Amino acid sequence: MSLDLTFIGQIVVFLTLVFLMKKYLYGPMAELMEARSNKIAQGLAAADAGNEAKAKAEVEIAEQLNEARSKAAEIIAAAEKRSAELNEESVIKARTEAQQIVDSARDEVNAELNRARQTLRGEVADIAMIAAEQVVEAELDAKRHAKLVEGIVSSGFGNA
Amino acid sequence: MADQSHGDGGIAGHLQYWTLKIDESNPFMQIHLDTMLVTIVVAAGMFIFALWLKGRLVEGAPSGAQNFMESVVGFIDQTVKDNFPVHNPLIAPLAFTVFCFIALINTIDILPAFLLGNIAHLFGVEHFRPVPTNDLNLPAAMAVSVFALVLYYEFKLKPVHFCKELVMEPFTSLVPGFLKPIVMPINLILKLVEEVAKPLSLSFRLFGNMFAGEVIFLLIAFLLLGGGAVSMAAGFFVGLAWTAFHLFIGLLQAFIFMILTVVYLSIAHQPVEH
Repeated sequence: MSLDLTFIGQIVVFLTLVFLMKKYLYGPMAELMEARSNKIAQGLAAADAGNEAKAKAEVEIAEQLNEARSKAAEIIAAAEKRSAELNEESVIKARTEAQQIVDSARDEVNAELNRARQTLRGEVADIAMIAAEQVVEAELDAKRHAKLVEGIVSSGFGNA
Repeated sequence: MADQSHGDGGIAGHLQYWTLKIDESNPFMQIHLDTMLVTIVVAAGMFIFALWLKGRLVEGAPSGAQNFMESVVGFIDQTVKDNFPVHNPLIAPLAFTVFCFIALINTIDILPAFLLGNIAHLFGVEHFRPVPTNDLNLPAAMAVSVFALVLYYEFKLKPVHFCKELVMEPFTSLVPGFLKPIVMPINLILKLVEEVAKPLSLSFRLFGNMFAGEVIFLLIAFLLLGGGAVSMAAGFFVGLAWTAFHLFIGLLQAFIFMILTVVYLSIAHQPVEH
């Protein structure tokens, strides 16, 4: 139970073992664990950064979406306004055109009527002349018959 | 009787070392071959395990032996970090070696009391003590190594403060100036006792616990296992219970040795307070 040379031997064994353990077991393991915890910390930091970026992007997306929505609403409103204007314009234009068509048609009808009236008047005069000729041929008193014919013409066709 | 079947000298006979005497007249000049053999085998086992594990360390999720060793390393690392004011790359491996080495050696004690001794008898060795922590030489060697480290760091980190403390504490500030030179030697003696008590208590605590444990194993074996069937059965169960308890004590002593090593070194590293 006393100390002897074993004591020296044990110091040598112990210190050698400390050295070997430090070099071959504890050192590499501590290094590895340190590296791993660093890696995990980095991963967590990256995940945090990613989450932050995601949140930021979401906010940005929402903002852009709102902007796009309001812009779209503006565009739709403008388009509706424009279409209403166009509609109104086209209605007015159509109405004007229709009026013009009606007017020109009326003018044409009037002109045609006048023309017909002139033609008729000429023809009636011709007929009257022919009738007068025939009456002249038949009656001697042309003056009296002419007066008669004229009277007939003016009373019969004057309002035509 | 048991003592006849287990060699001569009873319990005392089992507490003899396998000794190589270099100088018969000088009790220091001898070497306990059993202690040396077992410690070298355990140390070599640890070294081979370290080499084996080093080759298969993976950076990803650890499993098996690596997982187990990582929890031990993590635990000791945390203990050292909790106690240490500064970083010293030597302390954690030292604490780790102390813990694992003592725990492994103490665990040999749970082998049947006469097993290794009887195996040694087969090779013609008369006495064989299987557990080196029962030999004061091993705890003392470790405690003295730790103490030497403590002294080294005390002198390296705060030489003036340490020397001053040796002669000035605890009485100098309590006495008038002219008495100071008189109390200085008293201080020195007290301080030396305080310092020397550290390795002494460190080594004797481990040695005492493990030695007592082994003696109780031998007592159980001699008192109970030598008798009839009932006594044998009782001996078996008492021995089993003591084995479990002793296993716990072995781990506990390893932990205590480790934590005290860290604490003593941490005291040496404490910055000087003014």
